[in-house]
Amino acid sequence: MITRFWAEIGTAILTLVFGLVIVKGSLEFGIGWDTSGPQPGAFPFYAGALIALASLGTLAVTVGQRVAGKAALAEAFLDAERGKRVLSFLLPLVAFVVLSVTLGMYVATILYLVFAMRFQGGYGWLPSLVTALLTAAFFYFALEKFFQIGLLKGPIEPLIGL
Amino acid sequence: MDNIANLMHGFSVALTTHHLLLMMAGVLLGVLVGVLPGLGAPNGVSLLLPLTFSMDPVSAIILLTSLYWGALFGGSTTSILFNIPGEPSSVATTFDGHPMAKQGKATEALSFAFLSAGFGALAGVILITLLSGWVAKFALRFSSPEYFAVYFMTFASFIGLGGASPFKTVVSMAIGFALATIGMDSVSGNVRLTFEFDVLLAGVSFLIAVIGLFGIGELLLTMEEGLKFEGVAAKVRISDVLRTAAKLPRYWLALLRSALIGIWMGITPGGPTAASFMSYAMAKRSSRNPAKFGKGEPEGVIAPETADHAAGSAAMLPMLALGIPGSATAAVMMGGLMIWGLNPGPTLFTDRPDFVWGLIASMYLGNVVAVVVVLATVPLFASILRIPFSIIGPIIVVICFIGAFTAASKEFDIWLALVFGLVGYLFKKLDYPIAPLVLAMVIGDKAEDAFRQSMIFSQGSLSIFWSNPLVSTLMAIGLALLVMPVIGSLARRLRGTKAAGTV
Repeated sequence: MITRFWAEIGTAILTLVFGLVIVKGSLEFGIGWDTSGPQPGAFPFYAGALIALASLGTLAVTVGQRVAGKAALAEAFLDAERGKRVLSFLLPLVAFVVLSVTLGMYVATILYLVFAMRFQGGYGWLPSLVTALLTAAFFYFALEKFFQIGLLKGPIEPLIGL
Repeated sequence: MDNIANLMHGFSVALTTHHLLLMMAGVLLGVLVGVLPGLGAPNGVSLLLPLTFSMDPVSAIILLTSLYWGALFGGSTTSILFNIPGEPSSVATTFDGHPMAKQGKATEALSFAFLSAGFGALAGVILITLLSGWVAKFALRFSSPEYFAVYFMTFASFIGLGGASPFKTVVSMAIGFALATIGMDSVSGNVRLTFEFDVLLAGVSFLIAVIGLFGIGELLLTMEEGLKFEGVAAKVRISDVLRTAAKLPRYWLALLRSALIGIWMGITPGGPTAASFMSYAMAKRSSRNPAKFGKGEPEGVIAPETADHAAGSAAMLPMLALGIPGSATAAVMMGGLMIWGLNPGPTLFTDRPDFVWGLIASMYLGNVVAVVVVLATVPLFASILRIPFSIIGPIIVVICFIGAFTAASKEFDIWLALVFGLVGYLFKKLDYPIAPLVLAMVIGDKAEDAFRQSMIFSQGSLSIFWSNPLVSTLMAIGLALLVMPVIGSLARRLRGTKAAGTV
């Protein structure tokens, strides 16, 4: 179980690191003044510095509240049951992204929908396959034919002549 | 009377069969995204935007604004029938809307919601008609320091009025600004903050951020909470609608008050969500029998709905006249305007009057079309929610990622949408506001340009932001908004100790 306290701290550290990365990146371009006005790094530098400072602020506030014994911080941010539900949705979603960039978005759509319906929704093979194929076909005709926008394609589409 | 003549010209632009059909399509799509969990107005607009790149700007904006109206209506439908707010701004509608539906008064609740929403939207549009020309004319006097001051004021009001932790608001906003600077710098021609990654050369698109933060993030949250739809069936009969409409004038005070709250929150970037909560709270406080609220009081539906839609339409005023969006959805639309090659702000009124007034006229028509279409299609859309989430959820995921890819046909954007989705989930769970991030991404470049130009005028002295009465006033308002949370918490502490002392 993750408590709200550690979730707050973890997120604040993440944003702090992001802010510092931006600050470091802006230093390359100069944050001072030259003949044409402020140097290109100035604006992102201040944005990054703001992120870092405000993250430190969140850290301080959170630790302060913990010391003061605020009850909300000890509450569960994510317990086992909720975590499992999120992961059961997130992992197939990540797989869909990986498949999209390797096998193309149409194939990924079909595999993902079949998996979600057949193995997570408990539907039979037939309704799962039909829904998945119809969805992919809908996107194919709407995007490629009507709006003339191509989606990512993998090695399989050329084989069936699309 | 200039405005009226302009508006009539606008109607001549907007009132074509082509545009009316686009309005209907937009409203239907909007109700759909409003009804589906995980897809909301900002998202719907982001997903549809890439498909409008080839359209003429007037048609494109009519389609997108109609989608916005539709989404606002769709959000209230699920609030009332399923106790699930389709949109964050319709959360307050669940308080009394769902109890009404459970008491068998679903039609009455829906009609009250739609009609008062229509009233709120019209109030917002009338305000835009009357004020936009004037505001734009006033804003023509602005130069870079004034613009920067207005941007400053916008973000100060997020921090001061937003309700979230000021630190978290600053983090969210500054992340938006930082992301906006990635890629080509339009002033110096340098490529900034790409860290040698070629994929970052073109920058990070706000569309991807919206799709990830609002779409995927929202879906993950919905899944975590274990979504269950327990709906109330609704059949909408015309006679019931008319009977409810006849009751509406009784609530004139609530309607007017809520419209004013909504307009105010829409123009200042408080946004529709804050407006609906505030309006609900005001209605409850000023009611003669506040105990009825939460148990199916019609005023508890009317107040948040009117304010929600008034804020939604009023948010278009600062976007059109100043180039500052008043809500996340308006921010996405403004990004769209820039992609279509238009420059939102006061010059738009002189450069493209047909666009501006066509849009304003379409807001009148679009809302009327929306009320009619929504009343006619409620049963249909309610039945969509009976499709189990194990089918609908993954399909929404597919739509989001396809939308992310079509924004620029970049493979990298799919990964980026995933990252934004995780960030959105985390931010939402920890009460980081997301709208400031999106707003900052859209107006980041403009804010930076305004800042740099001001600095060039003044040879690097910050005193330029106090150099004339106009810019000083704007900066002073901004600073006042900024310190409001500090003063507020001090006042509360003083009052708290006093109360404790007397007890």
